[in-house]
Amino acid sequence: MTVEQNLEALDQFPVGMRVLAVDDDQTCLKILESLLRHCQYHVTTTNQAQKALELLRENKNKFDLVISDVDMPDMDGFKLLELVGLEMDLPVIMLSAHSDPKYVMKGVTHGACDYLLKPVRIEELKNIWQHVVRSRFDKNRGSNNNGDKRDGSGNEGVGNSDQNNGKGNRKRKDQYNEDEDEDRDDNDDSCAQKKQRVVWTVELHKKFVAAVNQLGYEKAMPKKILDLMNVEKLTRENVASHLQKFRLYLKRISGVANQQAIMANSELHFMQMNGLDGFHHRPIPVGSGQYHGGAPAMRSFPPNGILGRLNTPSGIGVRSLSSPPAGMFLQNQTDIGKFHHVSSLPLNHSDGGNILQGLPMPLEFDQLQTNNNKSRNMNSNKSIAGTSMAFPSFSTQQNSLISAPNNNVVVLEGHPQATPPGFPGHQINKRLEHWSNAVSSSTHPPPPAHNSNSINHQFDVSPLPHSRPDPLEWNNVSSSYSIPFCDSANTLSSPALDTTNPRAFCRNTDFDSNTNVQPGVFYGPSTDAMALLSSSNPKEGFVVGQQKLQSGGFMVADAGSLDDIVNSTMKQEQSQGDLSGGDLGYGGFSSLRTCI
Amino acid sequence: MNTIVVAQLQRQFQDYIVSLYQQGFLDNQFSELRKLQDEGTPDFVAEVVSLFFDDCSKLINTMSISLERPDNVDFKQVDSGVHQLKGSSSSVGARRVKNVCISFKECCDVQNREGCLRCLQQVDYEYKMLKTKLQDLFNLEKQILQAGGTIPQVDIN
Repeated sequence: MTVEQNLEALDQFPVGMRVLAVDDDQTCLKILESLLRHCQYHVTTTNQAQKALELLRENKNKFDLVISDVDMPDMDGFKLLELVGLEMDLPVIMLSAHSDPKYVMKGVTHGACDYLLKPVRIEELKNIWQHVVRSRFDKNRGSNNNGDKRDGSGNEGVGNSDQNNGKGNRKRKDQYNEDEDEDRDDNDDSCAQKKQRVVWTVELHKKFVAAVNQLGYEKAMPKKILDLMNVEKLTRENVASHLQKFRLYLKRISGVANQQAIMANSELHFMQMNGLDGFHHRPIPVGSGQYHGGAPAMRSFPPNGILGRLNTPSGIGVRSLSSPPAGMFLQNQTDIGKFHHVSSLPLNHSDGGNILQGLPMPLEFDQLQTNNNKSRNMNSNKSIAGTSMAFPSFSTQQNSLISAPNNNVVVLEGHPQATPPGFPGHQINKRLEHWSNAVSSSTHPPPPAHNSNSINHQFDVSPLPHSRPDPLEWNNVSSSYSIPFCDSANTLSSPALDTTNPRAFCRNTDFDSNTNVQPGVFYGPSTDAMALLSSSNPKEGFVVGQQKLQSGGFMVADAGSLDDIVNSTMKQEQSQGDLSGGDLGYGGFSSLRTCI
Repeated sequence: MNTIVVAQLQRQFQDYIVSLYQQGFLDNQFSELRKLQDEGTPDFVAEVVSLFFDDCSKLINTMSISLERPDNVDFKQVDSGVHQLKGSSSSVGARRVKNVCISFKECCDVQNREGCLRCLQQVDYEYKMLKTKLQDLFNLEKQILQAGGTIPQVDIN
């Protein structure tokens, strides 16, 4: 459809939207049909999946949306979902009497744009048209590279088709991949003129969450959110993609049911995590030589890195961090010494993405670590070189981080001021940043992050407050950085935290050892975890962050023991379900641990 | 139109339907279904429940066959039947039937044939009971309409 056609169709939307309903249970099908009719949609029903496919194949443009039951005798609903997504690229909503989160997750990973439980209520069906609009916008956006941006809202399951056209319809899978952000970012960049990456700072995210809360999570639409936020230069597209990440994040951490609760708390957490202002944004001097002996300093783990990562998901990132401007140097060997401040970099860097797209340096560190090991990059710190760990495999993580959209945000925040020298929880981000920057600065490792804040899902981890690379600073903060995130168990919302991995929660007590820390950092550590965290043990703090990792792509730390840990964690993570790809890749965390 | 008669019938209808809710035969989902009925679809509810009872009968039959031979019970089949029954009963608001399905599923999960048979019997009883009750309700509705009245919209909360 051309843009104009889309617009026209939209004018009438949602009235007349053409829905194909599939359910082998005739009772439910009849009810569904009636409900849909009452929403003024145009409904076609069939009780066989095979027939549905035929109808769809017959004319791809005949329907706008498909709603399908999960348990059907002739074909598994998930299979149908995949096929429809791949072949017709239509939004598909799953319907089931199974409320088990595993099924919901399966739906999501197979590309469903929503999952409804039976009995279905009419209120739920009243908003399903948004999935169609979203999907269309995304397509338009992708195909019209001439600035006709229709503020495509992030598509939750179906969108991004345009982006992935070249890659085949692997969007769905890609969505959860680390590459997601990258892809999206690339797309953003390529779309019309290169857009300025929006940095989702804490304030911005706060506004966003407030707007979403005000509208009601279910009803939140990018345009409305944008209007409520009233932020100059923010486009609907930005909001849409942020919203998508946020939704994925919420779903991930808490399951659909708790979304509201999380949302309520997310801001807080988010804020905490991000060390909202006020917190010490201490710039970490780059190159300060404080970094001594690498290891110790590093130990504290560059919160920045992690934090930075967190932000990435939404692209927020670290940008705000004062970190080195260079943009994410991450991964560059040469850059290593530089520690670019991630925050300043737009998320989507065009640079090869290796950076976390805006993620702070943590990656950088990894690189340092792995690459240089003691080397050169560390330049300022010879000691660092020795360290090995501090940031193990950041580089690997990097990628994962980036992609970690929303969900990953985790942890970083953690520390609210509890940390010493002003290392606020978010400081972690900063730290990370600084870390990267600072690698060289061998100041003492940042103080253990004890974060009072629980990591709870940070949806957007605000970029590290400091944007300046300040390796030393990082160090200053205290060696305790170890894990900034997790501080206090109180994470606000944390219930959503990934309880599946209780271990992941911080536990680190020993970084270097390969204890399985379970990086899986979750967003908010479970209460137990929190307790751990709050135990003011820097290391613990670290753990929290790790949880987060869990969710996302972990990056496997290359560094020594941490690596192992990370790896194991990662595996764990991965097995958890395709959490959105790349969640922050907290693999770094593990390394962080060591840092502590 | 005999208003007194209509009023009486309406009253009767109201009391009856409220009692069905109170006794747990129906739940809120049934009210939602009633809301979907309008002039365009005056028999919507009756049609839906009729489909439901058909489904019940078929599923119970199939499950009964699966459970018949003690040495060769296809629990998977039974489970699938229970699942479907649960889905449809919850969609129409047949609360008691749905509740039996929950226990039924548990028996199925542990492969308790005896338990399954008992639940099967109970499901059969419940759906037939509900069928009778709803039949009475629809009859009342018909009488009201025939007497020229309108069916009251009852708020069950």
